[in-house]
Amino acid sequence: MTEVTLNLTRKDFVSDQMVRWCPGCGDYAILAQMQRVLPELGIPKEDIVFISGIGCSSRFPYYMDTYGIHSIHGRAPTLASGLKLTNPNLQVWVITGDGDGLSIGGNHLIHTLRRNIDLKIILFNNRIYGLTKGQYSPTSLPGTKTKSSPMGSIDPAFNPTAVAVGVGATFIARTAATDVKHMAEMFRRAAHHKGTSFVEVYQNCLIFNDGAWDYATNPKTKHENIIYLEDHKPLIFGKNKDKGIRLNGIHPEVVSLDEVDESELMVHYEDMPDGSLSYFLSQMRHERGMPEPMGVFRCVDEPVYEEEVLQQIDLAIEQKGKGDLQQLFYQADTWVVEDESSGQNGSNGQGGNGSVPTLGVDEEYVGVVFNDEASSEPYFSPTDTLSTLNPRQPLIASQDISLGEAIQKLHNLDVGLLALVDDNGKLAGVFTEGDVLRKVAGNVTDLDATPVKDFMTTNVTALKEDDTLAQAIHLMSIHKFRHILLVDDDNRPVGVLSSRRVAHYIQDNFAEN
Amino acid sequence: MGQKYDLQHERVKHLDLTQYSQVESGTTVGETVNKMRAEHRNCALVTQKGKLVGIFTDRDVLHKVVSSPDAWNKPVDEVMTPNPFTVTEDDKAETALLEMNKRHFRNVPVLDSNGHVVGNLTHYALIKFYADQFPEALYNLPPNPNQISDSRVGG
Ligand code: SF4
Repeated sequence: MTEVTLNLTRKDFVSDQMVRWCPGCGDYAILAQMQRVLPELGIPKEDIVFISGIGCSSRFPYYMDTYGIHSIHGRAPTLASGLKLTNPNLQVWVITGDGDGLSIGGNHLIHTLRRNIDLKIILFNNRIYGLTKGQYSPTSLPGTKTKSSPMGSIDPAFNPTAVAVGVGATFIARTAATDVKHMAEMFRRAAHHKGTSFVEVYQNCLIFNDGAWDYATNPKTKHENIIYLEDHKPLIFGKNKDKGIRLNGIHPEVVSLDEVDESELMVHYEDMPDGSLSYFLSQMRHERGMPEPMGVFRCVDEPVYEEEVLQQIDLAIEQKGKGDLQQLFYQADTWVVEDESSGQNGSNGQGGNGSVPTLGVDEEYVGVVFNDEASSEPYFSPTDTLSTLNPRQPLIASQDISLGEAIQKLHNLDVGLLALVDDNGKLAGVFTEGDVLRKVAGNVTDLDATPVKDFMTTNVTALKEDDTLAQAIHLMSIHKFRHILLVDDDNRPVGVLSSRRVAHYIQDNFAEN
Repeated sequence: MGQKYDLQHERVKHLDLTQYSQVESGTTVGETVNKMRAEHRNCALVTQKGKLVGIFTDRDVLHKVVSSPDAWNKPVDEVMTPNPFTVTEDDKAETALLEMNKRHFRNVPVLDSNGHVVGNLTHYALIKFYADQFPEALYNLPPNPNQISDSRVGG
């Protein structure tokens, strides 16, 4: 087999499905980071599978342009296990939620974690049932008032990381959907671990449980309420890194670094063979007045289930020869059931046309969120259209020019991006100063004899002038775009926004207030 | 409420700084570019015994390197911007960002109190700071604009 460089981008992982989560749902940020991290892994798309159960989060596979199964409630780990055992070459991700994974699917989750099959399990924890419109879930804190617990829930909350430690999971991590960089890093680590990876993601359901994770995600307070784990480093937290965790007997306690020396603090080891340290960490909960650990609790190398199973299969074949499945099926009493009622199967008009049933919007709740403009409105509106930022005219050239000409144009005008168009003036690709650095300098001797086409980026993510500032900031903050190209309805380049322009716009509006 | 208030209370070290490559003075342009490529960085900071002496970015590659093949084997010192404008990690974030805007810089090296480089301040820092304040409006968006359905699964 020859080595092929994949060169996948996030766009390769974006499906054409309309996303049906509520606007502002934390699930979107998780999707964006997954689409950002997967291209980095160097795995062909066709070798990646997402399997989910039932719930809001479980719609995830539709939005990934990979193979995927939206499966049965709580049963995603079972399908994933079967798939991984039959085709160990696949990278299999399980997407589940606190309801799906910890209630109806709790048993499957536990045994999958125990077996250490090489699966990547992402648990979206929003402490509520969102899809069924707001009943308390296994992770809701006691006292949570919902439709199904009008006087407050009584059940103690399920602690997902503690359970994972208890069953000996080999990779356990926690992150928050608002902490986009950290979340991306956790996905990377999960992807690279061999064995079951379990990542709990704090995700906000703004319709039914808004603010459940505020203490851990609000940029103003979170540094006092969470602690970032770093391997082989002492447990230190606080915005100014002035507090730490010390072990007092068998209880972790918060101490101030003004009074206590760093050498007295607990030190984190991801690869501690037994689970005692991770268990300590899992017991540090906000409701007990402790900062909650974020990061990798545990990462140890243990034998991977499918490898051992496949070895046993090989051995069995060696000893007894290849079996015959047909023969196995028919070796005992078998009989054929005649189909007497043919023609009656299937089409009774109940959803038989293959369309996905559509749940209506519950206006009552949508209203709650979208009429409430008060609390977190920024000074300028993220719904400002991009045209209000006065985008600069883009530098445009034909895609048929040479590399030398393209570089000359960027150089003369001292800009970072050249939009390349076809004969009809439609966008064909872009060529940037980043491309000059990454691909051209030192690699191409005759710039004038080389077409720029060979070096431009095609399949460009462009926005339109009436798209919102929020979209631009999204691309710049999550996907680190330094320029955003604007096109008209006919895909002709009409403007370009640099991160400088966007930063200035934000800053000017800070200053005015 | 009050984002201005919040930014005023942040120091540069509280912002999300951008990663950079670091090379020692005297490194050739070619080696510098290759290092930036390998590390996926757009900016290299040039140091001499730990002290910052210059900055070299993809814009410099565009202007001074790509079209002059003999630049490749020269020391990076000849094409870098020497003695760049810097800020310290304990400077007020807002002042640092305003200064950066005023001077039209895209990369501002950040130093600690001993004068060692600890980061690179870019426009990304402000955009990220802002986005962190409004995750629902800015992070929680579909992959493409308008790729969102009116019929919702949950709420
Ligand atoms: S109900 Fe909650 S979890 Fe479900 S899509 Fe809406 S905001 Fe997200």
